[in-house]
Amino acid sequence: MKKLLFVILLLAAASIFAVHARAQVIVIANPSVKANDISKSDLRDVFTGASTALPGGGNVVPILLKAGTVHEEFLQVFIGKNDSAYRAGWRSLVFSGQASMPKSLDGDAAVVEFVAHNAGAIGYIAKATPHEGVKVLTVK
Amino acid sequence: MNRLLIGAMALALWVTPATAQSLDDLNIQIHGYATQGFVYSNQNNVFTTNSSNGSPAWTEAVMNVTALPTPKLRVGVQARYFLLGNFGNEIALDWADADYKVNDKFGVRFGKVKIPNNLFNETQDIDPSYMWALLPQSVYTLPDRNSMLSQYGGVVYGTVKIGENLGKVEYRGWGGNQIIAGSDGYWIALREAGMNLPNGLSGMDYGAALHWKTPLTGLMIGGSDIRRPAWSSPLTFEPAPGELLNGSMDVKAFNEWAVFGIYEKNKVMVAGEYNKLAPEILLSFPNLPIPFPVDKRQWYGMASYKVTGKLTAGIYDSQQINHALPLSTGPARSSKDWVASGRYDFSQFLYAKAEEHFIDGTDNYFDTGTNPNGIKPTTKLMVLKLGVSF
Repeated sequence: MKKLLFVILLLAAASIFAVHARAQVIVIANPSVKANDISKSDLRDVFTGASTALPGGGNVVPILLKAGTVHEEFLQVFIGKNDSAYRAGWRSLVFSGQASMPKSLDGDAAVVEFVAHNAGAIGYIAKATPHEGVKVLTVK
Repeated sequence: MNRLLIGAMALALWVTPATAQSLDDLNIQIHGYATQGFVYSNQNNVFTTNSSNGSPAWTEAVMNVTALPTPKLRVGVQARYFLLGNFGNEIALDWADADYKVNDKFGVRFGKVKIPNNLFNETQDIDPSYMWALLPQSVYTLPDRNSMLSQYGGVVYGTVKIGENLGKVEYRGWGGNQIIAGSDGYWIALREAGMNLPNGLSGMDYGAALHWKTPLTGLMIGGSDIRRPAWSSPLTFEPAPGELLNGSMDVKAFNEWAVFGIYEKNKVMVAGEYNKLAPEILLSFPNLPIPFPVDKRQWYGMASYKVTGKLTAGIYDSQQINHALPLSTGPARSSKDWVASGRYDFSQFLYAKAEEHFIDGTDNYFDTGTNPNGIKPTTKLMVLKLGVSF
């Protein structure tokens, strides 16, 4: 019984940690993007190349991080794929002539800089990264 | 027709704002990949290779250049080097198109475009995009592949929401001129029987595909249908050295349809497809009509699981039966292939694949030229592959 309680407590702690971890990534957009929030489904469509617009929000262009924990967490939480599966999906589009590869940048600061200065750009960064000049989209 | 389309593409490039845009403004991208395969089999040689002794005669390299002159217009071109067994070994134009996407609901692509039929036809040649070393050969036969990938013509496409909680439908409609060159792997059996299509075989086709992205996240169900009007082409036959007969190959109008589904979520992927291929083909020589019976049912079921971030494992069962052949033809009228497969991604750019096939039946994989002592009914085949992409 004690072991069972211990396992339950461990799972509860893990789930709290997971929620905490999820809260560390935010989705940002250029101020020209009309939407203030975005559904997880629409976010997935934009970042997998299935859609180039948001409902009521005009055209958007996804911006990626090249690698790192924020990138991995974004893919895991919002896209439901790991990096190799995610890039394999984009390669299908790029090598079949259906899309161009999204721009990949080296770090959060570069993403903020690019998103702030390019109409329609949408990206993701760590919550703690300064992000003046961009708007934060709430993921519903 | 082809020149007209290429001219239209050139015009599309020309009319884009040409006011001293930098390469960065045009968002020019260059991507490529290369793969090297190794096949080793018992009993029979596969794909015109000498696989009984182990063969590395399977090499592909692809490079493309794309540009985005405006946010809605994309133009690009892709070339491919292909070698498989004793054919290929040449560079060909994969696709070259201009794509104007008005919005998510409507876009149009024209030039030499990929044909979006079946579940994987658009992507069946893009090795870095899937885990298998060989896609199910019942539907995606490797030697037949290159001429089936693209054609000169156009595609319209888009995605439409079909109501609250009903998901979305992706549609594609296409038409154009398809060319199966006389040297293509499609005609291996004919060539080995002494027949040649000096002009290849070509003709118009058109089709449509619907992909229903269901409300269940990750589940897509779809179907496609191609209509090929009657095709005809000169055919030569050399039954003995120095004896040449001139005739024709005639294919009556027919449809090729497929139904398919795929479920992808987190670490799991499950997919299946069924299609029917039953063209009426007649090879005609003076006083010598030769019927070429084809009435195939082809299907597969596959599943894969991401064991770790870098390792994926999967299995599939791929089968085909040619109902046009009598039961007495035994293993020649079918092919069944059980497959266990694994892929390891060393990095974003480098990967390796390993696969074991247990093949029963001879309706696929084998040719008489590299199996001069006859084709045996069962074969085990191992495929190793190394790939790099950027």
